[in-house]
Amino acid sequence: MAVTAAVAISVPAESIVREIEALGITHVVNVPDTHQKSVLALLARRSHPTLVTACTEDEAVGINAGLYVGGKRPMLLIQNTGLLASINCIKGIAMDARIPTFMLVGLFSRDVTKAPADDPKRVINRISPTLDTWEIPWYPLERPDQLGAIAEAYQRSLETSGPTVVLVGAPTS
Amino acid sequence: MSMNRKDPTEALAALRGDAITITTEQCIKAWREAVPDALDDPTHVDVVGAMGSASSIALGIALAQPNRKVIVMDGDGSLLMQLGSLVTIAGAAPENLVHIVFENGVYATSGGQPLPAEGRLDFEVMARGAGFAHAARYDDAAAFKADLPGLLERRGPVFVTLQIEHEVGVPSGTRSAMMGQQLEALRKQLADAAAD
Repeated sequence: MAVTAAVAISVPAESIVREIEALGITHVVNVPDTHQKSVLALLARRSHPTLVTACTEDEAVGINAGLYVGGKRPMLLIQNTGLLASINCIKGIAMDARIPTFMLVGLFSRDVTKAPADDPKRVINRISPTLDTWEIPWYPLERPDQLGAIAEAYQRSLETSGPTVVLVGAPTS
Repeated sequence: MSMNRKDPTEALAALRGDAITITTEQCIKAWREAVPDALDDPTHVDVVGAMGSASSIALGIALAQPNRKVIVMDGDGSLLMQLGSLVTIAGAAPENLVHIVFENGVYATSGGQPLPAEGRLDFEVMARGAGFAHAARYDDAAAFKADLPGLLERRGPVFVTLQIEHEVGVPSGTRSAMMGQQLEALRKQLADAAAD
């Protein structure tokens, strides 16, 4: 039986954490993402950046805003389902109130042999159109050579005082 | 028994010191009546346009500024929108955060509809169960006023629910863009203070 080639390749957690540290991120506000659990496990073993776990993504968006206003360099680490759940808070806080809100979003349950647009699951194929509808800049992280998207998206969130998203295509390793 | 909104708000305004204050929903108007220059105060923020987010934004500020008292004046309907924030706050355990809920039992802004389980839900029990360092309930303004200095001195996070008279409120008139301006003014004030 032929094996279908993967479209998205796992990015090592160490690489992602190195990018986060290089940006001087002080706080990673998260609602645990199955897709990025190796990143969370790595962050949990370190004292910096501080891992803040919230019960919901709505809270995470608010906490990120408070940390930013308080002089810190926060970011969010959440799952695609949580992104959808928190759109109103992203609208009200990140967009209308102009708070830099950088989000690393895992495409949990994505079929890595298909492009997201071709995945039959709405929680995959509707994510980027949702972001486009709200004019939220997003960057794919489909393979290790796209790690630069993290810095680019974070800087853009600061420059535009708004939300940006990196979509993590495959479960991190 | 219940109290009007004005008395506890004025008590908070009188004792806030250099605390950062955050309001939402009906607390916004009450604070502006108690603090005439509230709109020009860079250490005050009115949270609008993100339902239930006052407690979460307050948590973020409290974590970023551990040497600064942060007082959030929340609505009961607002808190129900992000009820999990009680657990998130307790988990982060900021000692400088005071979370006060003005509990009138209704969604005042939208016309006074009763909260689900109004009359049965118990925020004090919820906060204590979530893991707050201290939780208290007041239905008398004089008792709250007498205890307030101690509440503000306690190692937090501290949770207080105030039983407020039923009321039908009005929208605050504040837009998210104004909240953005207030957040930016606070950010600048804190950055300037850190640079001194």
